[in-house]
Amino acid sequence: MSSDAIETRGLSRVYKSYRKPEGVWNSLKGLWDRQTVEKTALQPTTLRIAPGQIVGLVGANGAGKTTLLKLLSGLITPSHGDALVLGHHPWKRESAFLKRVSILLGQKNQLWWDLAPLDSFALLARIYDLDLAATRRRVQELTKRLQCDHVVETQLRRLSLGERMKMEIIGALLHSPDVLFLDEPTIGLDIVAQESIRDFLAGYVRSRGPTVILTSHYMDDIAQLAHSLLLISKGAIVYEGTVQDFTRKTESVQTLSVRFAEDLAADVRLDGDLHLAKGGKEFHLKIPADRLGPVIAELSRHGSIQDLKTEETDFEDVIKSFLATESRLL
Amino acid sequence: MAISANVEYRLNYVIDAVVQPSMTAVIELLLWLALFQGAAGGTIGGFTLPYYLSYALWGAFFARIASSWMYEFRMIEEIESGSVNGLLVRPFSFYEYYFSQLMGYKFITTFVSFLIPLGATLLLDWPAQMDRLPLATLLVFYYLILVHSISFLVSCCAFFWNRIHSFTVAKNLAFWILTGELVPLDLMPEPYRGWVINLPFASGVYVPVAYLTGRAEVSMVWNGFLSVTVGLIAVNAAGALLWKKGLRSYVGTGA
Repeated sequence: MSSDAIETRGLSRVYKSYRKPEGVWNSLKGLWDRQTVEKTALQPTTLRIAPGQIVGLVGANGAGKTTLLKLLSGLITPSHGDALVLGHHPWKRESAFLKRVSILLGQKNQLWWDLAPLDSFALLARIYDLDLAATRRRVQELTKRLQCDHVVETQLRRLSLGERMKMEIIGALLHSPDVLFLDEPTIGLDIVAQESIRDFLAGYVRSRGPTVILTSHYMDDIAQLAHSLLLISKGAIVYEGTVQDFTRKTESVQTLSVRFAEDLAADVRLDGDLHLAKGGKEFHLKIPADRLGPVIAELSRHGSIQDLKTEETDFEDVIKSFLATESRLL
Repeated sequence: MAISANVEYRLNYVIDAVVQPSMTAVIELLLWLALFQGAAGGTIGGFTLPYYLSYALWGAFFARIASSWMYEFRMIEEIESGSVNGLLVRPFSFYEYYFSQLMGYKFITTFVSFLIPLGATLLLDWPAQMDRLPLATLLVFYYLILVHSISFLVSCCAFFWNRIHSFTVAKNLAFWILTGELVPLDLMPEPYRGWVINLPFASGVYVPVAYLTGRAEVSMVWNGFLSVTVGLIAVNAAGALLWKKGLRSYVGTGA
């Protein structure tokens, strides 16, 4: 094939499950008679990713992004099609392949629960045939950069979610993988931990240059880290392009929450179609980011503002709106 | 790693290495004492009470080595829950990973738990030929490879069925008899006696303990090595097949 780090041709995966109608009788009937249901998690997918590229893989829950990631990392076997990652068929899980890739699953622990991270790292060094002294130096360097050197001798099960994730990241990077699969690396973390991990990963990929496929529900992760974007919907890739193009197409929308000191004395119309009803006190408005300033100024003319806050619109909503614009249903 | 992880839970370690096999031994000893009290003669199957007491004592501790239900449950759980992902993406095999854990754990617990039957045998002067202990221990550790292979085979079933812990329970009940942990296999009537002793499971308890306590000769030990080898080939072939088939249907989030 080619010199691409990742290449797929018609790669697809169908999951099988059983349908279980409601009720005790159906449970008993299920002992001898089960109805199999097939669901296409990933439709035939053809893509090429050049070495050193950082690709953001986004989509709603159940869209198929984790399935694609699992196929490419060798965790699951495709139903049809073919894929080459660094010249290997991932699902064959050859040692030479596994030593060059790494996958970080934000919602699953991969280090050893009962061991202190230092013990886990020493074990990983042996598994990946790494030089022990060099690994120790690398752990020191990475823990320092992630500001977590004080917890490396504490058992994993005793660490906070953020600390655990930092340890998982170090474990995933210890053997300097050429291809890195990051599945929701910042999920469930507070904003400080998210930023810390995001900054660290940005610095790491800049300095080491691995090929990265990143899935995340946080647009900031994608915006800060990814060169290009794959949008996946109903198991099919529906958008492939740069992050900048995607951002341009999906006008950035903010949710503005405002609470007035007193009920509004009259109906208010803002910015075309925004309507604030008479007698209301608290409102939540979806506004294009570039219209925030004028809208807030206008609001302040209609009453005394007691509380005001803005939030970025949920990423799933951004995708939904993009797909709606592109005439594709989620 | 197995050593570090297991000594982390000190109480569990002590209970598993010392308390659990000691309790089993005490129950078995009481059982044999009661049987001999009710027996008309001074022997059962040609052996006197001290032979049975020695068998029961060593049998309980050998049986502890020859079982891996704890690791088997973990292996099943890994596949059922999808946490096997963490192992699948690393350059080693699921079989090897748990095998090294099991062996590491058995080595550290055997060293401690064997002090009890050793001390009791010396103190009470029950029949046991200590020069036979190394070969008997070697056989049970060889048999442990088969035990692990069977655990691997059972855990592979978790790819196809949820909740298969009942397999382990049913299998362990069968092994309780087939290994000779419950009663020495030479007490069984023919032709079952010959069949059961020639099965690889007898190498878990009966063959090494019978050899150690003078109920059997070395030829039975060599026969044990042979039948375990045959068992290993058969079980590992089935395990490899089931693993391959299981991975084809695996969805990466648990079975």
